[in-house]
Amino acid sequence: MSSDSIISSLSPEAIQSGFADLGYICDESIAMSVYLATQLNKPILVEGPPGVGKTELAKATASLLQQSLIRLQCYEGLDESKALYEWKYGKQLLYTQVLKDKLGDLLKGAHGLAESVTRLHEFGDIFYSEDFLEPRPLLQALKAPNGSVLLIDEIDKSDHEFESFLLEMLSDYQISVPEIGTIKATSQPVVLLTSNNTRELSDALKRRCLHLYIPFPDLKLEQKIIQSRVPEAPENLRNQLVDFVHTLRELDLKKHPAISETIDWARALVLLHANSLDTKLVKNTLNLLLKHEEDIVSVKQELTSLFAKSNKSSKHRVQH
Amino acid sequence: MNNTFVEFVHALRGADVRVSTAEALDAVRALQLVGYQHRASLKLALGQTLAKSEEEKQAFDQCFDQFFHFSSMDKLNDTPAPSFQDLPEDDNLANRLINNLSQLASNIEASLTGQSHPTPSEPGQSSGQPAQSQSPLGQLLLSGDQASAAMAMASAGQSTNVNQIQLMTQKGLYGRRMMMAMGLEAMEEEIWQAELSSDSQQLQLAQRLRAARDLLRSEVRDYVEQQFLLQAQAKGKQLRQETMMRVRIEHLREFKDTQILVRKLAQRLVKKHAHRKKVHNRGQLDVRSTLRQSIPNNGIMFNPQWKTKRSNRPKVMAICDVSGSVSQVSRFLLMFLYSLTDVLPRVRAFAFSSHLGEVTNLFQQLDINDAIDETLDAYGNGSTNYGQALLDFKEHCLADVDKKTTIIILGDARNNYGEPETEVLRELYQRSNQLIWLNPEHKNRWGSGDSEMKKYQAYCTLAEVCNSLSHLERAIDKLLIRQ
Repeated sequence: MSSDSIISSLSPEAIQSGFADLGYICDESIAMSVYLATQLNKPILVEGPPGVGKTELAKATASLLQQSLIRLQCYEGLDESKALYEWKYGKQLLYTQVLKDKLGDLLKGAHGLAESVTRLHEFGDIFYSEDFLEPRPLLQALKAPNGSVLLIDEIDKSDHEFESFLLEMLSDYQISVPEIGTIKATSQPVVLLTSNNTRELSDALKRRCLHLYIPFPDLKLEQKIIQSRVPEAPENLRNQLVDFVHTLRELDLKKHPAISETIDWARALVLLHANSLDTKLVKNTLNLLLKHEEDIVSVKQELTSLFAKSNKSSKHRVQH
Repeated sequence: MNNTFVEFVHALRGADVRVSTAEALDAVRALQLVGYQHRASLKLALGQTLAKSEEEKQAFDQCFDQFFHFSSMDKLNDTPAPSFQDLPEDDNLANRLINNLSQLASNIEASLTGQSHPTPSEPGQSSGQPAQSQSPLGQLLLSGDQASAAMAMASAGQSTNVNQIQLMTQKGLYGRRMMMAMGLEAMEEEIWQAELSSDSQQLQLAQRLRAARDLLRSEVRDYVEQQFLLQAQAKGKQLRQETMMRVRIEHLREFKDTQILVRKLAQRLVKKHAHRKKVHNRGQLDVRSTLRQSIPNNGIMFNPQWKTKRSNRPKVMAICDVSGSVSQVSRFLLMFLYSLTDVLPRVRAFAFSSHLGEVTNLFQQLDINDAIDETLDAYGNGSTNYGQALLDFKEHCLADVDKKTTIIILGDARNNYGEPETEVLRELYQRSNQLIWLNPEHKNRWGSGDSEMKKYQAYCTLAEVCNSLSHLERAIDKLLIRQ
C-alpha cells in the first residue's frame, strides 16, 4: 500500500491498534494527535518529561506510515548549514582544479576580460546547482519522494534564531535557498517536534503546531507497555515492578524514573531470572532506575517502607 | 453549531487561553474531521489544536467541562438524561429532539416578537378531558423529556443573549427573560385558570404545573449562573485588571489579585526580552574561526566568520524608600523585579528610610509577600534621610557597582531638609551603566518643599514618574531595552 492511501485510511482507533502492533502502546490522545497531524498536515509539538517515549512516537509513526524517519537533533548553535543544506566546497574546488585546462581551452582566443567573463556566463552557475548541494535533514525531508516523517528532536535546546527559521518550513513546507530559490516539498512530511520544556517556546511556533503533552502513564498503561516490550517478564513480576516504579514517582526525586527506565529494569530483572521482587534485588538494581547518587541514597534508606507500600497496593488490586 | 464554537472560543479566551484566529480555524477543521459524536475525542481534538501549554490545557479542560455541560433537567424525572455521548446513536431520540427544538424555537420567536400564543387553556375546554396541560411549556415540562427541555433552555438562553451577562446583579433579570422566552406567560395563565376551577383533575394539574415551574425556575437560575461563570467572570476580570493598571498604587491594596496581575505583566516582559540574548556585531572579523572554516577548502577563506557577543544580563540594584507613602510603590517594584528572574537573574535589593540595608537574602529565602512585609518591618520606621541612605550605600557596596550595573532608586526624594549628598549620587551615576530614578510624585511637585528631586535629577540617566502599575511596567520595559 502506498503511504498516501495509508494516510487516507487512518482513524484514531486504527492508529492506536496499529501502534500496538508495532509495540508502541499509547492512549487516545496520542493516537488523536497523530490522526489530526496526518489529516490536517500540521506538525505536532510533543512535550513531556524525558523518557516517556516522545522520540519513540516518531519512530512508530514512521513505521506505521511506511515512510522513512529523518531525524534532526537540535543543540545550541545549530544553524542553517547543519540543518538545511551546505555547499559541497570540496567538490566545487576539486572540479575547478580538474576543469582548469578545459577553462583554458574555453577562454582561448577571447580578447580582454569582458569577453572572457561573457563566455563564462554562457555556462551558467554550474558550481551553484543542486549537484553541489549537500542536503541536510530538513532538505532531505522535503525532497523525499514518498513523504517522510521528520523528527526535530529537543527543539528547546536550539537557539531562538533557529526556531524562527523553522517557521517557514512548518507552515508552508517550503524552504528558501538564496542561490537556487524556493524548494517546495515533493510530498508533505509528517513533522514531530519534541521539547523537554527547558525553555518556553515562542507563540509563533506553538501556533503552527498541534500540541501534545505526554505525561507519565498510569498503572494500567505502563503494565501494557511492559507486557509488549518485555514479554518474557512473568505477570507477577510485571505488576510488582510497575507498582514499585509508581511509588517512586510519588517521591521528591531529582529525576523520576521514566518508561524507558522501567523497560530497562524489567529487562535486567528478566536477565537475573527474577520471578518476584525483594528488597535485596531492588537494592542491587536500583541504579537502573535512578540516575542520581542522591536519589539512590535517599531511596535506599526508605526502601523497606516503600517496598511494603507498593506491595500493599498491588495486593489490594489483586483482590479486586 | 458554529455559533456554539465561537462562543466556546470566547469562553476560552476569558479563561486565559490564548486562542488566535488561525488556531480557531485549525480547530474547526479538526472538528469537521472528528465530529461532535464522541465527547472524549472532541475534547482531545479541540484540546490539541487550541491549548498549547500545560497551564492552558488545565484551563481548557475546566472550560470544556463547564461549557459542554448537559446534565440539567434530569431532576424532572427519575430516568437519567441522555448524555451527550448517546445522542447520535439513537436516531429516534435525535429526530424527536430536532422536532421539539424547531417547535420550541418558533414558540420562542413568537413570544419574543410580542405575539402571544393562542392560549389554549380555556377551562371550559379542558375540563372535559383528562387533565392535560395545554400550554407548550407545560406540555414540555410534564412530558418528562429532559433532553428537549434542556435544549429549549439552551435556545432560550441564546435568544435572550445570556452570554452578554456582565454583572452578578443581572442574573435575576436574565433568568426572568429566559423563562418568558420559553413561554412562561402562557403557562402561568394556565395555572391560574386551573386553580380557579373546581374540577379536582384541574386542581391536580395546577399543582403539578406549579411544581414543574418551580423546578424550571431553579434550573434556569443554575443555567444563568453557569453562563455568568463562563462569560462574565472573564469579562469582569479583564475590566478589573484594566482598572488596576491605571489606579494609583497606594489604592491597589483594595484589589484582590494584584499579585497575579504583576506576575502576568512580568511574564509579558520576559517573553518580550528573552529573545535578544545574542547581539551580532557585523564588521568584526573572527580570524580564528575563519581560518578553521577554511581548512577543508585548501586554506582559501571562502566563508568569513564574524564575531558575536552575548550580551550580559544587567546587574540590577534596587534601592527602595520604604517609608510611609512610598512603601506601597516599593512593594510593587520589588514584586515586579523578583518576578523577572528569567531576564533579570541578578537583582539585589536595598531598603532604607533613614538607614540603608541589603534585603536580597530575605527575597531568596521567603515568599515575595512575606519578604516585603519583613523588609517594611525592619526598615520602614524613622524619618526619611536620602543623604544618609546614599552614604550607606556608598560604604556598603560602591565597589560592586560597575559598568554592567543598573541602579534603580525608588523614592519621592523628600529629604526633610537634610543634606542631599548629591556628590554620592554623581559618583554612582558615573560608575554605573545607568541610574534610573522612579518617583511616585507628579512632575509638578518635584523640587517643591523638601523635595530634592531637581538636584538628584541631574545625575539620573532617566527620571520618571511612577505611581501605577502601567508606569511601572513601562519603566522596567525601558530598563530592559537600554541594557
